[in-house]
Amino acid sequence: MKPDTLSDIFTTAIASFKRNKIRTVLTSLGITIGVMSVVLLIGLGVGLKNYLSDQFESLGSNLVIVFPGNVFSDEGGLGGGFGPGFAGGATFDEKDYLNLKKIPQADYVVPQFFRSLPVTANGESQLGYVEGVTADAFKILNLSQAYGQAFEATDVNRKTKVAVLGFAIAEKLFSSPEKAVGKTIITGNQRLKVIGVNAKKGDREMDNIVLLPYTTTFGRLNPNKTFFTIFFGVNDEANIASVINQAEKILAKRYDEDSFSVTEQTEILSTVNQVFGIVNAILVAIGSISLLVGGIGIMNIMYATVTERTKEVGIRRAIGATRQDILSQFLSESVVLSVLGGLIGLALASLIILVIRQFFPAAINLLSVVIAFSVSTAIGVFFGVFPAKRAANLPPIEAIRYE
Amino acid sequence: MKPLIDLRNVSKTYWLGETEVKAVSGISLPIYRQEYLSILGASGSGKSTLMYLIGLLEIPSRGKISFNGRDVSKLADAKLSHLRNGSIGFVFQQFNLINKFTVLENVILPTRYSKTRLKFNPKNKARQLLKDFGILDRQDFFPNKISGGQQQRVAIARALIMNPAVLLADEPTGNLDSKTGPEILRLIESLRKKFKTTIIMVTHEKEVANRADKKIYIKDGRLVKKYL
Ligand SMILES: Nc1ncnc2c1ncn2[C@@H]1O[C@H](COP(=O)(O)OP(=O)(O)OP(=O)(O)O)[C@@H](O)[C@H]1O
Ligand SMILES: [Mg+2]
Repeated sequence: MKPDTLSDIFTTAIASFKRNKIRTVLTSLGITIGVMSVVLLIGLGVGLKNYLSDQFESLGSNLVIVFPGNVFSDEGGLGGGFGPGFAGGATFDEKDYLNLKKIPQADYVVPQFFRSLPVTANGESQLGYVEGVTADAFKILNLSQAYGQAFEATDVNRKTKVAVLGFAIAEKLFSSPEKAVGKTIITGNQRLKVIGVNAKKGDREMDNIVLLPYTTTFGRLNPNKTFFTIFFGVNDEANIASVINQAEKILAKRYDEDSFSVTEQTEILSTVNQVFGIVNAILVAIGSISLLVGGIGIMNIMYATVTERTKEVGIRRAIGATRQDILSQFLSESVVLSVLGGLIGLALASLIILVIRQFFPAAINLLSVVIAFSVSTAIGVFFGVFPAKRAANLPPIEAIRYE
Repeated sequence: MKPLIDLRNVSKTYWLGETEVKAVSGISLPIYRQEYLSILGASGSGKSTLMYLIGLLEIPSRGKISFNGRDVSKLADAKLSHLRNGSIGFVFQQFNLINKFTVLENVILPTRYSKTRLKFNPKNKARQLLKDFGILDRQDFFPNKISGGQQQRVAIARALIMNPAVLLADEPTGNLDSKTGPEILRLIESLRKKFKTTIIMVTHEKEVANRADKKIYIKDGRLVKKYL
């Protein structure tokens, strides 16, 4: 195709869209929503998966984790829900922690309270991953301090208002991380004194972490005094099964068996992958349905356009346009329409992901962009080809006589 | 001398459901280079249909059409389109400009469908034609913002941009007033000398038809000899 023809095609497409702005937007809306949901899902899925893998990779071995919900159940990970906010998920508290601590083969037990919150210090504000834990968390997470020191078991007992910052957040709040030590930060209305800054980990989450004694969170940060997870370090790999068994028994006294899971780290990883595979498939199916509806919308509007522009087709045929020329003209119009919708969808999804990134590790990757482009192009072609064929096959005379 | 376009016993039949409409029946007509031919007839007599057949926009139901000595009555659509693009220019009663394109864009539109290398720059040539026709100052206007006479000049420029051998005009003055009509006629007639174009003028007005070197009269789709 000559560039001239190409520019003609685009002039025509853009001109007809300009004349019918509302119609164009409405037509592309289906594609916009479809592409947006697919891109969002990929973004969330990939982000969450990366997040969890990173999390688990930075943990030590022989780790057993207690989760609310029965996502990691024997039926392949589809039962119940995930997290305390989901139906049937248990909410753990200090009593569980103290009970679980009694298991002899557990070297250490760390309860974890987690919230992502803005952290402010001398006028600066940064989003931090605020975690209420015990002093053993530094061992599990392999965290050493570049400046200052970690808090200790006594800080947990005394509910000291202290915090240990990740390297990046300390740098962002205090311009140079060593200056953070001894300063005060405020998060969720809670004042905390910085006593240490972790060495750089190269992981976004870890480097923006704010660790404090879980007992301290029981004030303003965590008024319900709950934990999201409880970690165990098991002294020997051979004892993992026994620890899981004991933990399940202990928890079953207080909670329904379906409302919590006790799992080995490696098992969690594979289940997480499996669950996200299934969740992604379902969500992609939803996206596909809106893409299908969008495609039908485009087909519909293109049929209307062909009828509306019958005379124009006749004129073009009279001055020498072949059937093929007419076909490509209408086909590119539907592709432009569809890709336009797709790009808006991509842009909206990117915006949304930018917003959620503040709270959740979502990501836009090359895959999303490629999918947005290729899917919307394919839809434009597939649903545009029938109306374009109708236009191309209009008898020139009838078209030119058409009023 | 061989005719440029030669119609031999050409018929065109349309079907309106079960009823057969013979728009053109059994017309034989040679058209020579640089001829000025008029086709006269009443409304519904088949003038336009005949013109479309001559202009290769319609294929005959029966009979044979040759263009430059070559039988084109059974050519494939793409080949016919190329012939129309390079050799035939249409001018219509309703101007038939594309309203979303500017005057200049309308004039260069045929060049975009050319399948052979152009020997001219489309924009320059279009501007030259618009200048010749006295409407260069309207090149960036949209068709609905200029007068009927001006629109018809644009249509003629569009018909001429590919240097066609034949210009087919279907009642080109039908939508124009008594002052502008004759101006357009004179413009079309001047093309013969200037561009060596063959001119075929379809009209139902005797006075218009009489201006041509040669005129044919059709009635109910047939050539009526005795009228000539
Ligand atoms: N596509 C078609 N289907 C059916 N009948 C048609 C078709 N095109 C033309 N006709 C019929 O063929 C006859 C000739 O039509 P045509 O348009 O050629 O006449 P005309 O001489 O140009 O008339 P006018 O002066 O009104 O333009 C008319 O009776 C018309 O109704
Ligand atoms: Mg007519």
